[in-house]
Amino acid sequence: MRKIRMAILVAAFGLVLPGFAKDPEPQFKSVEAKHFTKSEGVELSPEFTDYLYAELRAELTKAKLFGQVIGEGEVVDAADAPASIVIEGGITEYKKGSAVKDALIGFTAGWRSLKVETTIKRRSDQKVIVSPQIHVRASPRWKDKVLAKEAAQQIVKEIKKALKDSGTGT
Amino acid sequence: MGCRLPRSGPLGSFALERGFGGDCGVALLRVVFTQSPMTEARLNFRRTSYVCRWLLALSTTACLKAMADEPKPKPENTVHVEVSEAVKPQTFARGLKFFVADVTDRSGNAQPMLVYRPRGGIFLDRAPTEIMREGLTTCLKSADALAADRESADFVLTIYLFRFGLSDSSGMDFFGKVEFAAVVKNPRTGKSQQVSASGTSIAGVAVLKKNIQKNVLENINKAFGDALRNFLRGEKLRDAVGTLDVPAEPKAPPAAEKPVMQK
Repeated sequence: MRKIRMAILVAAFGLVLPGFAKDPEPQFKSVEAKHFTKSEGVELSPEFTDYLYAELRAELTKAKLFGQVIGEGEVVDAADAPASIVIEGGITEYKKGSAVKDALIGFTAGWRSLKVETTIKRRSDQKVIVSPQIHVRASPRWKDKVLAKEAAQQIVKEIKKALKDSGTGT
Repeated sequence: MGCRLPRSGPLGSFALERGFGGDCGVALLRVVFTQSPMTEARLNFRRTSYVCRWLLALSTTACLKAMADEPKPKPENTVHVEVSEAVKPQTFARGLKFFVADVTDRSGNAQPMLVYRPRGGIFLDRAPTEIMREGLTTCLKSADALAADRESADFVLTIYLFRFGLSDSSGMDFFGKVEFAAVVKNPRTGKSQQVSASGTSIAGVAVLKKNIQKNVLENINKAFGDALRNFLRGEKLRDAVGTLDVPAEPKAPPAAEKPVMQK
């Protein structure tokens, strides 16, 4: 009985311990997200790009990889430039989808689709760290901004993956 | 008396009944069309008036409900937005002083203080123009870059506010957005340039009204701070100031006194 209690105590301690661990040190001093451009033929409102920009910034803040998530066109100290990155991109394709197909066929037929090309560069020398191509889909019954949320999450995921592959990234 | 009876078909078979009705003994003529479809339904105005009354009652109820749903500012649904942490403006080659002249609302919003309509609404305690002016002056003052008056300022700022509050989101969160343009004017030369800035913030939705209010306030505060930072630390302001700032005219040296010739 005593051994079981001890085991429970140790297990509980082991579970709680990671909660007290410090957040990892951010790998970059700052990150700047820019508004994504739209290719010709992409029928999305300017509000969509604003929302995508906001979502991307929110996701970057959540990722805790960067000391500061700065707004578009903000100045950065020259000393911090080598440890700062810039995220640029463009929406290359957008399909509205079909609610009728979605209702009649199902199985993701008629879903909205968004393709985004992203480039992540180092601020100091403009060296491209990674350039993921994101493709997200969502039901036409949902708002198109759901795609922006999904795309932002995927971009940050790709950045994390690229930084993990390349070691520190700095 | 003109006859409106159809001239063909069932007209061939009708009966004319004659009788007396009422106390006054007015003769009633009842034309009974035995086969004509015109006689099938007699208008019952009593039923129609009932339907009208019901419709009137329903529309009145709907109007009253709509009036009740129209949010009104109360202390419990009013939030106080202010810049939580003063943004430190970028440093310029020489210490410049700015003066905030006018803040104009260009949002075209009939109710600029109503930021969230559902669930009784959420209101700002002041007009967005006032909040903007206060936030900007606080930030400039914190860096000792606020001029006391227009005359002593190196640059005069005129702000045009395009958006202040929440914007359309995906439905799964609140999307706060503050957008404005500042006209930076050098009062000495009279030249000016426009600098635009925006701030955004995303916050999660909530179910309880108290939490909704908290999230909305946090969201707007963040977006507001972000917009101020975007303006005060932006490259656009730096470029505008660099273009407009002309070095002060050197003061004319005092007239050199002619040396007195000594004899």
